[in-house]
Amino acid sequence: MNATLAAVLALLGLTLVKATPLIYAALGGVVSERSGVINIGLEGILVAGAFTSVVVSGATGNPILGALAGVVAGMALAAVLAFAATRLGVDQIVAGAGLNIAALAAAAFGLVLVYHQPGASHEVPALGNTGERVLIVLAFVAAAALQFVLTRTPWGLRVRACGEDPSAAEAAGINALQTRFWAVVIGGAIASLGGVYLSLAELDLYSDGMTAGRGFIALAAIIFGRWTPLGATGAALFFGFFAALQYSLQRAGVPSELMQALPYLAALVALAGFAGRVRAPASDGVPYVRP
Amino acid sequence: MSALLRGRAFRDVAVVIVVVFGFGSIAMLLAHVSPLDGFGALFDGAFGTRSELAETLVQTTSLLFPALGVAIAARAGLFNIGADGQLILGGFAAGWIGAQFPLPGYLAIPMVLLAGTFAGGAWGAIAGFLRARFGANEVIATLMLNYVAVLLATYLVNGPLQQGGAGASETAGLPKAAQLPDLIADSRLTWAFVIALVVAFVLRWVLQRTVFGYELRAAGDAPEAAKRAGIDLGRTAFVAMTLSGALAGLGGATIVSGVLHRFNTGLSPGYGFIAIAVALVGNLDPLWIVVASFAFGVLQSGGVAMQAEALVPRDVVTLVTGLAIIALAGRRVVASLRST
Repeated sequence: MNATLAAVLALLGLTLVKATPLIYAALGGVVSERSGVINIGLEGILVAGAFTSVVVSGATGNPILGALAGVVAGMALAAVLAFAATRLGVDQIVAGAGLNIAALAAAAFGLVLVYHQPGASHEVPALGNTGERVLIVLAFVAAAALQFVLTRTPWGLRVRACGEDPSAAEAAGINALQTRFWAVVIGGAIASLGGVYLSLAELDLYSDGMTAGRGFIALAAIIFGRWTPLGATGAALFFGFFAALQYSLQRAGVPSELMQALPYLAALVALAGFAGRVRAPASDGVPYVRP
Repeated sequence: MSALLRGRAFRDVAVVIVVVFGFGSIAMLLAHVSPLDGFGALFDGAFGTRSELAETLVQTTSLLFPALGVAIAARAGLFNIGADGQLILGGFAAGWIGAQFPLPGYLAIPMVLLAGTFAGGAWGAIAGFLRARFGANEVIATLMLNYVAVLLATYLVNGPLQQGGAGASETAGLPKAAQLPDLIADSRLTWAFVIALVVAFVLRWVLQRTVFGYELRAAGDAPEAAKRAGIDLGRTAFVAMTLSGALAGLGGATIVSGVLHRFNTGLSPGYGFIAIAVALVGNLDPLWIVVASFAFGVLQSGGVAMQAEALVPRDVVTLVTGLAIIALAGRRVVASLRST
């Protein structure tokens, strides 16, 4: 194999590694937002998945059990947001922002409680290379499945109806509050796999700040991908590619900060409508209160 | 303010107190520390001595500016979640210009503070412009601009505008003339505190007693009616976001000029995010926000002592602040988040 081909393959491999957690987080956000609940708390859900999976894997010695626990933690956190958004009708942005702050701090506090040291956990049994490959493939399977579910199944139609016009959905006999609740919780389960990937597949420990704003890059991917699972996955791959490219370009003298800012700038461009028409679900972020 | 709002505000304060002490106690018990000892150390650390009280007021000041910024945007019906980025860029502009152009005292301090105000205002204006011109959702825009701000400041301070050596992530130190004078000797408390109070009073007056303040509130409370009454909603959004960013940027400049005496990329421990809680607890009223800033300032400065004396990690303070924000989400900031 010649050197150029090897370099290209390495870059593509790194792209997949960098994109996978973004894909999970973005897919989780898409389900939630298509139902009408904007999930600013994706970063917190990544943290919950990453931290909990490490603690449980360390305690039981079983990384698969750890991964499952991470998913449960992500669902629990999402359930808090879902409950507040559907039953209390709160401002979803404020609640999500609080969730992020609380989750990051809880994990930092948890490190001290469990490992008696700040900053990072011990190394724990991880999912290994096989587990990492499974999670990468599963991300794409999940994207395709979610696209199918949202566009081709009754549940998907109900979710989208609640995201566009919950009053009309309720008039048609759909329980909008319940549909939104479960969409957010299922979104939390999917997004938490991104956290599990970061701590138990790419690495074998949790450290403070390891999610590094990926929950927000995922929000950018959702917008750039026009709120569709496949679109968001494409955007996540695009951002993952630039994250991977960063290492080579840095050597070539391109400042890494510019590359890191790219997803956020891309989202701003998309928001301003320069990348074609971008339309959020009509009732995204709007609390639904039964008349 | 109507009696209804006042009742609402009272309930919010009660909820936050329950959350802070309730969840704070649980966290302390988990860390095998008696809540009495933990909160005792916290309050002792915030009020115990004159210098500790001064440090609490330093934290109050650093929270007050971005909280006023968040509040002014929210009164116009806009959610500025990007105060942290505006504060950081304001701090960078203040630190860089202050160190680059040494001027005599009566010019240096205004120049440094104005530089921070302009930089923060410019950053807020981007979100305001995107909102006014393209109808872009300002929440997502300011959220994204936060990260761009940190990356931009990091790039500039280590790259083209480097002063403090390669990879130092800070500017050169400010000359004495550009440093805000102390309010209490041998403390980090400077005239920034007084400036913050004056700004709060002025803002309150602007909101309640000027045509501009009326238009701003009208745009926030009843955008449809405001539009029919001839208020230019786009222009109001642009001005409110610019002003909001300018306040946060001024806050960053006072941290650089008064506390750190140089810009450092780690200058904010998330002041712009805690400011959301402060603004909501303060019921978006500049004068109550002064009180709320003090309350959260106590948590910030007392948290250091709590960690040192009672061995409760400072993260507990951040944790209860986050939980308080969730509890406050019932206070709707913006009528609708739709990008229109």
